[in-house]
Amino acid sequence: MLKRIAQGLVAIVGALLIVFVAQRLSGDPVALMLPMDAGEEDFAAMRSALGLDKPLPLQFAIFLGNALQGDFGQSYQWNAPAMQLILERLPATLELAMAGLVFALLLAVPLGVLSAVHRGGAIDRAGKIFAMLGQAVPGFWIGLLLILFIAVELQWLPAFGRGDLSHLLLPAIALGWYPVAAMTRTLRSSMLDILESDYIRMERAIGLPERAIVWRYALRNAMAPLATMIGVYFANMLGGAFVIEVVFAWPGVGRTVVEAVFARDFPVVQAGVVLSAVVFVAVNLLVDLSYGFIDPRIRHD
Amino acid sequence: MVDVLPAMKGIDPACAPRALEGETPSLQMGQPMRRAFPEGGRPALQRAARRVTASSLWLVLLAAPVANARDITIAFGAEPTQVDPTRSSAGVDLYYTDLFYEGLLTVDANLNRVNWLAESWRVVERDGLPLIEITLREGVRFHNGETLTAEDVAFSFKRLTDPESRTAGRLRYVERVDVLDERRLEMVLTGPDGSLEPLNLLLLAIPKRYFEEVGDAGVQAHPIGTGPWRFISRKPRDELVVERFEDYWNPAAAPSPDINRLTIKIIPEDTTRVAAFKTGAVDWIDAVPPAQLAEFKAMEGVRVASLPTPNNLFIGLNAIDPASPFRFEKVRRAAAHAVDFDAIVKYILYGQGIRTAQLAPGSLGYDETLRPWPYDPDRARQLLAEAGFPAGVSVNCYNLTTPREAYIKEMGETVFAYLTEAGIRCRVVQLEYGAWINLARRFARPEMDGVLNTMWGQGLPGDPTDAWAGHVHSAGDGWGNYSYHSDPELDALIEELRTTMAQGRRVELIRHIARLKHERVAGGLPSYRPMITLAWRDTLDFSPWPGAFWRSMRGMGRPGP
Repeated sequence: MLKRIAQGLVAIVGALLIVFVAQRLSGDPVALMLPMDAGEEDFAAMRSALGLDKPLPLQFAIFLGNALQGDFGQSYQWNAPAMQLILERLPATLELAMAGLVFALLLAVPLGVLSAVHRGGAIDRAGKIFAMLGQAVPGFWIGLLLILFIAVELQWLPAFGRGDLSHLLLPAIALGWYPVAAMTRTLRSSMLDILESDYIRMERAIGLPERAIVWRYALRNAMAPLATMIGVYFANMLGGAFVIEVVFAWPGVGRTVVEAVFARDFPVVQAGVVLSAVVFVAVNLLVDLSYGFIDPRIRHD
Repeated sequence: MVDVLPAMKGIDPACAPRALEGETPSLQMGQPMRRAFPEGGRPALQRAARRVTASSLWLVLLAAPVANARDITIAFGAEPTQVDPTRSSAGVDLYYTDLFYEGLLTVDANLNRVNWLAESWRVVERDGLPLIEITLREGVRFHNGETLTAEDVAFSFKRLTDPESRTAGRLRYVERVDVLDERRLEMVLTGPDGSLEPLNLLLLAIPKRYFEEVGDAGVQAHPIGTGPWRFISRKPRDELVVERFEDYWNPAAAPSPDINRLTIKIIPEDTTRVAAFKTGAVDWIDAVPPAQLAEFKAMEGVRVASLPTPNNLFIGLNAIDPASPFRFEKVRRAAAHAVDFDAIVKYILYGQGIRTAQLAPGSLGYDETLRPWPYDPDRARQLLAEAGFPAGVSVNCYNLTTPREAYIKEMGETVFAYLTEAGIRCRVVQLEYGAWINLARRFARPEMDGVLNTMWGQGLPGDPTDAWAGHVHSAGDGWGNYSYHSDPELDALIEELRTTMAQGRRVELIRHIARLKHERVAGGLPSYRPMITLAWRDTLDFSPWPGAFWRSMRGMGRPGP
């Protein structure tokens, strides 16, 4: 377990180094911060005020030292601490990612189980088509179609913004449809394996009802591969929700970080990347731990 | 000699035709044709919410019989990062600061520059140096009830020039600001500066005591100014809520008393912003996509206004690099004849642009006799041959791909295609905003060695002084250093313009420079001034004001023209 945590820390520092170097290769943020009529002296003054005139290794050392204390510096464009900007928007992104995940699971679990049970049948084929649609069509496009049909034409749900549950549905569908295909397929194949295993045959032989066999005994054992995917996709949704956030005017982290990239707002990008690295590592640790609960044969010491 | 400018003087109307009337296609109102959104079609949850709001409104009505004002929700496509006018640099910040803060001069709804918080001002000479004497209006109040004094305005000079400020450069010829009494102050200059008036004398009314008390973070958390709206709350990436300021000094330039609260939603995606308008979630939107303009004009119960932005797009040409073919005037003329900008405005911008020979109508010193070079590709090829390039030339053509203006990428690609067709063969280089702005600066490495899709802006109605100093003067003392041109005669004229404060002479100089610049194709090919379209439901009165690129909310609840 300690080894896993140490590996996670290395991954986080690695992400920091990469984002630090890559951003500085992309150009000078000062040019974007000053008005077009600024002179050379204004440039020099702003660079030294931001510490951008120091040698790169020194900048990284200062940055790392402050980061360890939770200080990612002041946003260049927002006049607020970078980490605060990210943390303020984290609940919105978490809410959206969780809703997306719930939507994905609500579809993937029944579809995966039913297509394994009725292998080759109508449900199997229809489920496959429905799931593939979500993977084949980009999420932002689904989002725009949902806005045009559900919000504008039918006027059932609001078109944008964060608020009550009704605001959450459309972005959650746009975000959560994508992984449905992969989750369904994974669950279906692990269900097929398990339904043919000896203990299931044993349960059938002793006359347990089929419904209990499938939903209680088989599903639980078939969940382990899906749990891995849930971890990966949840982390992806946290980081990759920015397009959906822009489409639905959702005040989340992704939008903030992407806009910061274009404005070369280094502190905000760094804070955002560190936070997603931390979340990614944490989610993966949780997934590893969850195996133990799902399948008692896998236990970490 | 003493140079005295009359205090109440705006722009000479003869030289500055109003952009809102006459030949300019600047204001187009939509014709009601069909009812697009039947009442009662709102989302069920919103309906329920409205019912709740309505019943609580009755409680308020019972408690306070006068409070029958409406609350309005609108949407902007872009979001300011600042609410402190002394800490901002980006134009987009004005969307918010314009609601709360005011300056000494302003541009009114008819695009005339008028005195605002300055009751009067004049330029005098003392010890051989110019000095601006300013008298403030009486009885102007801040949102916290304090009265505006000269100390407050002088304090803005201190903040605008401190190390945290990003606009200190614009006050480089102001040595200090002296307070004479409660209402009078002086700006002491180190030399004449023709850019101060076009920038509304730059100083702002910010409450000194409050700013010092709460500090930078406090101001960002709760801005206080003299403007027609007062701050209520702000959720970044989501919304800003403001309320009509009851004690505003100039009720004629303020929102109607029928309006109480204004909520501004931030919806960056065009389709979503339009959807929010169509569903009735918001009653007013900015930046209607030009492609949907026809649809909006046909909607029943919807009004639209297309208005000129302060931006001036042009195609920069490197005319100083010894290796550049644009050193030759005939090659630059060839480029001017090669591109059909009228077609670009019509087909790519859906007509949402005002073609310019040099300056747009309404700009200081606009000369309507100056016509753009006609589109004539044969003439372009002939000029190229005369310049010694019968087989044409090959150049790098740098495009901007970030949508700072609608369709700017597509426009650039089309211009480069026209140039190539006429024998100026473009090797197209696509750049995002950061790379583009770095490349544009003179002495950047690598240098902008060919053709650049670029722009300049200097507010409305428009004054080219700082911009020309930056991109026409060979060693600009103004709008950065973007010049790829060197012409001693133009340099001298631009220096005189930059240091002339008398309006009449400025107009003469601008007209003279524009003509020379046009004839010599100096400082690039001007193309067009983009327009922005606003849309609102006709259940709402709205009269556009030019502040904050027409997003000023002064005219909310006021019938439009």
